[in-house]
Amino acid sequence: MNQPRILIFACKWCGLIGADAAGKKRASLPARFRVIPVECAALVEPDAILRALAGGIDGVAVLGCHSGGCRYNNANHASIKRFELLKDLLDTTGIGGERLLLSFGTAHEYHQFEEIIENFFNELAALPPLDPWLSPFGVVS
Amino acid sequence: MANITVFLCRCFGEIDNAIDFDLLRKELSKDTSVSSVSIVDSLCLEADIEKAASQIKETKADRVLIAACPTLSRGNLPVDGLIKEGIERHKIDLVDIREGCAWIHGNDPEGAVKKAKDLINMGLAALQHKEASKDMRVSVHPDALIIGAGPAGLAAATSLAKTGFKVNILERASAPGGMLRLISQLYPTGEDAADKLNPYIDEVENNHLITFYPQSKISSIEGCIGNFTVQFSSQGEDNSIQSGIIIIATGAKIFFPTGLYRYGEIRNVITQMEIERQFLKGSFDAKKPVFIQCAGARDKERPYCSTICCPASLKNAMRLAGENPGSEVFILHRGIMTPGNVLEKYYRDALSMGIQFICFEEEKPPMIMGNDRVEHVEVYDAVNGITRKIETDLVVLSTPLVPNDDSVRLAQMLGIEVDRYGFFSESYPMHPLETKMDGVFICGSARWPVASDQAILQGRAAAMKAVSYLRQREIAASTLSRVPGPKSGHARVVPDSCTGCGNCVAACPFEACHLEKLEDRHISKVDMMRCKACGNCVSVCPNGSMQIPEHNYRMVGEMIKRAF
Ligand code: SF4
Ligand code: SF4
Ligand code: SF4
Repeated sequence: MNQPRILIFACKWCGLIGADAAGKKRASLPARFRVIPVECAALVEPDAILRALAGGIDGVAVLGCHSGGCRYNNANHASIKRFELLKDLLDTTGIGGERLLLSFGTAHEYHQFEEIIENFFNELAALPPLDPWLSPFGVVS
Repeated sequence: MANITVFLCRCFGEIDNAIDFDLLRKELSKDTSVSSVSIVDSLCLEADIEKAASQIKETKADRVLIAACPTLSRGNLPVDGLIKEGIERHKIDLVDIREGCAWIHGNDPEGAVKKAKDLINMGLAALQHKEASKDMRVSVHPDALIIGAGPAGLAAATSLAKTGFKVNILERASAPGGMLRLISQLYPTGEDAADKLNPYIDEVENNHLITFYPQSKISSIEGCIGNFTVQFSSQGEDNSIQSGIIIIATGAKIFFPTGLYRYGEIRNVITQMEIERQFLKGSFDAKKPVFIQCAGARDKERPYCSTICCPASLKNAMRLAGENPGSEVFILHRGIMTPGNVLEKYYRDALSMGIQFICFEEEKPPMIMGNDRVEHVEVYDAVNGITRKIETDLVVLSTPLVPNDDSVRLAQMLGIEVDRYGFFSESYPMHPLETKMDGVFICGSARWPVASDQAILQGRAAAMKAVSYLRQREIAASTLSRVPGPKSGHARVVPDSCTGCGNCVAACPFEACHLEKLEDRHISKVDMMRCKACGNCVSVCPNGSMQIPEHNYRMVGEMIKRAF
């Protein structure tokens, strides 16, 4: 089975709290994900997500606060819209919008975080690997 | 070449079985940016931090990477400790190898040590590219400005004056008092509104720290926390004042139910405000009054509950019943809203006085019958399932509070927001009475309908929040954070590549970006006093011209590269 690699941008005030709680609960999770903490989901540039996928990472997750619960005056609301557009772009380019997981307010509890990681991991494992698709274009470093 | 000292914390051996520290050290020592790697038992005790600090000084390391538990546990302690020891924040990075690695990958030691190495690698990348944002300080004008002289504004003004600050009050009417001038008694105490108001008015008139500007109209507000400039006219004369903070206490207005329940068409269908006016003149003669609640409230257009009209009806119903022995008083309602022990008792008092309550449904409102005077009211009693015909000589409509007409204009001048009805919005979720602009506070019914006791409470609370800024001589932009701890940075424009497209201006949720005219083009400019480093502008800039130095794209790019 394909062993996917996952990059997570976790907002400090939501997703990161879920990740932290999962750690405190000693959840058992696949070791192939990395977390980059961010102050707000708005700080995640769509460009960074594309770079991650182009670099051979199989899936990217953005975990932010629920709409209306943003610490930065609804800054995340605009980012939700941006990422939905980005999903469309990923679909039209053939990379697949399913490689971008968006969670706004649904990864705050340890079991939610666990579930999200496990499901995403399984979904990505079922997809064909990304590298062979990208390498003919010379984007995988 | 960077010269990074790495501390690997074993957490008293807690995570040894998941992470092979010696292997980790060996791998890290190969990295040319790393000058030393220390494995330590703990890093969160005071002695540990002191030891680490002196080690950093000895080795002359210029950046520090701490691999330990996360900020939410005790990882913040060594970071804050080192900052206290004089190491700059952007030169320290904390990597979570406990909750984020050892504790969740215990049954995959190989995966865990690989992940720990990658995470530390990402941290090293971050340290090499992280920069520090600039900061700025503004001096604080020590005067306060309060807009509106109702109970909230007066309470704020007198509290501020008590703490020794000069206060200017702008009021659109000719005298202070707001809605308290229009009502006779207060619920639930029955106290005369004038008794409540007069001490405040005395204070406004006699305290030399308070200046009252009647009949004032604001034309513009500029500046930010520490230094607002307000242009206005008072009694026809133009004027301008400076202030360090602004408290909005403009209140709300009563909704006039024209067209509802034949109001305006038929005599003796009046509003709660009209009955108050009568009470101010003296007693009121009505033998069979009927109160109708939620006239214009909790419907499609205004789905909110105005919270003050149920207790106000109880007050006036009890007063009419008390002053007119033998009278029959009805309250037709859609659920009486009397939260809290005091108001609930008030409702029970009304019940025991013999006031009759009939619950109706929104779809079947009471009907006003009669030609030029109301003779009876027909209402479908939703609890008993029967239509009742109530003889009456007076119908009193309980109408909600609605925002003032100029609330949107004022909000625009201040750069703050109103909710979907037009009341001023506070900064959700953790900053009551604060708005998205630092130094602009809201209180009383301008924020949401409240009774005078709540308005006074909020006015005082807003004043205390204001004092925390006014007492500072200078305010640093970096301290104006909306999250625990200082701000994470400020957005910075790269002037050479900015094309002045304005995306950032539209996207900034704090109105911190604006376009500035240069000789031949426009470029974006960030107001650090307003920027909260949310990153929206960074994400929408088509040219990469907007960056937050602490989280710049080079850093993120390097971190992504090193993630696996
Ligand atoms: S307080 Fe006002 S809006 Fe709320 S239920 Fe009572 S009458 Fe209706
Ligand atoms: S980082 Fe956020 S608050 Fe600061 S200028 Fe950019 S969009 Fe505005
Ligand atoms: S979005 Fe970028 S290019 Fe456009 S005005 Fe802002 S900083 Fe300049």
